[in-house]
Amino acid sequence: MVDEIGINRIRRRDFLKAGLVFGAGAAGLAAGYAAVPDAFARAVYAATTNGVTNDRILVMIQLAGGNDGLRTVIPLQDPALHDLRPRLAAMSVGSALPLDGEVGLNQNLKGIKRLWDQGRVAIVQGVGYPNPSFSHFESIRIWETGDPSRRQLDGWLGRTLARNYDADGHPLAGCACGTAEVPGALRDLQATLTVIESQRSFGFSGGSEVEAAVGALYRNTPGIYGALFDTAMATARDAVAALQAAQAKYRPAATYSDQQQLVYASKNQLAAALQLAAELIVTGTGVKLLHVTLGGFDTHYTELARQDDLMAYLDSAVSAFFQDLDAHGMADRVLVATWSEFGRRPRENASGGTDHGAAAPLLLIGGPVKGGLYGEAPSLTDLDATDNLKYTVDFRSVYQEILGAHLGADPKEILGGSFERLGFIRDPVATF
Amino acid sequence: MGATDAAAPSSPSRPRIDRRRVLAGAVLGGAGLAALHGVLAAGLRGRTGRTGDGWASPLGSEAARVMHLLRRATFGASPEEFERAASDGFQRTVDRLLEEPPAPPPDLWSADDPDRGSRLRLGQLQLWWVRHLLDTPTPFAERMTLFWHGHFTSDAQKVGLATPFLYWQNLTWRRMALTDLRSMLWQVTVDPAMLRYLDLATSSGSAPNENYARELMERFTMGVGNYTEEDVRAAARALAGWVEPRPDRYRQVVLDAGKGVRRRYGVWDRPRTGTFVPRRAYRGTVTYLGRTGHLDTQAVLDAILAHPATAVYLAGKVAAEFVSPQVEASYVRRLADTFRSSGYDVKSLMRAVFTSPEFVSDAAYRALVKSPTEFMVHVLKAVQAPHLAPLVVAAGPQMGQILFAPPDVGGWPSNAAWISSNNVLARVNFATAVVERLGSAPPLDGLLEQVDRVLGPGTASALQRTADERRRLLLLLASPEFQLK
Repeated sequence: MVDEIGINRIRRRDFLKAGLVFGAGAAGLAAGYAAVPDAFARAVYAATTNGVTNDRILVMIQLAGGNDGLRTVIPLQDPALHDLRPRLAAMSVGSALPLDGEVGLNQNLKGIKRLWDQGRVAIVQGVGYPNPSFSHFESIRIWETGDPSRRQLDGWLGRTLARNYDADGHPLAGCACGTAEVPGALRDLQATLTVIESQRSFGFSGGSEVEAAVGALYRNTPGIYGALFDTAMATARDAVAALQAAQAKYRPAATYSDQQQLVYASKNQLAAALQLAAELIVTGTGVKLLHVTLGGFDTHYTELARQDDLMAYLDSAVSAFFQDLDAHGMADRVLVATWSEFGRRPRENASGGTDHGAAAPLLLIGGPVKGGLYGEAPSLTDLDATDNLKYTVDFRSVYQEILGAHLGADPKEILGGSFERLGFIRDPVATF
Repeated sequence: MGATDAAAPSSPSRPRIDRRRVLAGAVLGGAGLAALHGVLAAGLRGRTGRTGDGWASPLGSEAARVMHLLRRATFGASPEEFERAASDGFQRTVDRLLEEPPAPPPDLWSADDPDRGSRLRLGQLQLWWVRHLLDTPTPFAERMTLFWHGHFTSDAQKVGLATPFLYWQNLTWRRMALTDLRSMLWQVTVDPAMLRYLDLATSSGSAPNENYARELMERFTMGVGNYTEEDVRAAARALAGWVEPRPDRYRQVVLDAGKGVRRRYGVWDRPRTGTFVPRRAYRGTVTYLGRTGHLDTQAVLDAILAHPATAVYLAGKVAAEFVSPQVEASYVRRLADTFRSSGYDVKSLMRAVFTSPEFVSDAAYRALVKSPTEFMVHVLKAVQAPHLAPLVVAAGPQMGQILFAPPDVGGWPSNAAWISSNNVLARVNFATAVVERLGSAPPLDGLLEQVDRVLGPGTASALQRTADERRRLLLLLASPEFQLK
């Protein structure tokens, strides 16, 4: 065990460097570096018990497909809404949950409205970026990298992870729940990242003997994918152990339900993913940046029932999540932020839906938030050349606030610039 | 274990190339590949930096080239398939794969099934295809069907399974797998599953739905950046007017006799395509990709086929799926020229890929990661256990690949995107489940053939450390070597 004292100091970058220099097998084995992944694995596991600074936590919820902002935060007084989208407006304005005289929440966001009434919801209106892309994939990449110029390759949260939280290679500092692949926002080759599709299947079905045997396969793997494979296996083994420990401690204090009868089902089990997020948070695993996804928002057709269903699903999962965190006394640390690649076209189409749009509101929920409306709602009568809403707040302003005021990271380093201040975090943990 | 050949670096002391600098270089140099491919390919270049720490390529040997081809052009070979191909040699095997007409799968329904033509279950459809992937005498056609399923993709959640539309789409991509892009573009536009998936069936000239028009250009043909938002709007108008086909007749089905729940299902005697309804079409003129006039569907497709970006986009995608994510731009242009000058003949494109020096270059060896379906089918072929097909269907979701339900219109990701902590674990668990269910473990020596006897240090020493045949089989199937192709 004496070795482990030294091993605990092994930093992830040193591990990667060793992998790069000696990653090729025979020479590496001869030099004794074959032991590195094992040592690394122990080091990162030790880090979870050493207590990575774990005050503030971020949970990003991706509303994939392009969420209709005009049916999420609904203008109540603007006749232009009825001209542009007679069918969609008629069904949503009257039943909206008013926040003030001007706007109301979608009728199915009842739990989020309760959190609003408690001062725990900030809504930033008109969020977008210059020269919007109407391609899902381009716009997702822009939001994920935080770079409308499309030069940046790593995700904004991946960069944050690598720069601010990854010094000890902690396997659960960044975690994507409810997906099999690494979400682009968390991608950074220097960042350790855990991906858990489902808690039920996240374990070695052959037991610890199989785990140890296959773990030995993923060492100094040659080739362009070698380091990725070896890191994925080391991370998987650590995360399995951490998750088992968490599972033994966790008692959910809310009912999470994925039994929603969706007209247009999402592939992502949002409630299960948020429950896993809550488990990781309340059991003190050291989790810091979490990412979950709810799909199905690309409502080109029969949007009414579809988007309403998705709003209800979002609402019930987020409500259960905060009920659980509240009961465990963790809600004051956790900020939930929604994001979507774009809003939708103000004018409805022949299919009773809407095509790809631009600016839209974001929801920021949790104890750290100073509740209220931020930013300016875009005009429905002054549209851009593509008949879309003009953005009033750059999305990087929102990122800046999350990074600087909530997480205490240096937003300028991560975003490469400074943006308008919004002030939706009640007690910033740092000045920036 | 004397036959194993651990890859060794030629010079471990070469300077490490700084990753950030390589990335910056790639960006400034205009690494203009599609988002994900570009990101990962550039990142991987930076990560490796040198060629000295790659796998030791065995592709100087004819037998290894044949196995390399079968891993990529098919779902890996059973021992018999490999033996036959090895005795034919690389070139004759390429000819055979390309020239054999696709063997049709068995009918999904028996002739007297009352549900014939309707009421599918996703698991039933998936198992039907996986069984054919394992049994087919023409596996290259199946590999191409999977490629087109991920390219001209549709999704069971939106299309639904109360009609045979997705079943028909699978039959269509198999039948057309090696035809030409012009015919395929017409077919995909009027394909009933696609009409529903990307909403063309509910669009109209007076209030067009842009979904199909945009993805037709962005994901199916030209790639983003080669058209304007005005082109999207113009194409949406010009393409409007198609509606879904109507069934030949209907049939009442009692879903719950106690509660008296009945539902009417359509019944189709044979596959159909969409119907064009002139009164739903746009009546004015449009300007699309520089052409102005009263453009109809064929005119839109012609303009796309006349655009030089189309061949480049498809050749780039084929290269990333069949050769390497790190090919030179000049190679993609060469493939694109062949594709376009052959009248967009898919067979000519694939022949150019398989017979190119790049396909068997050292850099291409193990440069691709098997998709979950490829991995799982290869496992069952290697251990000759086609009866375990249901495991393939069951394990897909945990690995991120659900057949007939891609994540979005971009289809499935590829290569590095398949490697995550979740996915390596899920692949190990699949191998564990297969080995548990085998009556007896096939001898390891034959299975080493599947990975050309080229093992990395971790796998080589792990195999040496155990004498248990079953455990060694599990280790080989779960190894990084077996995940690659």
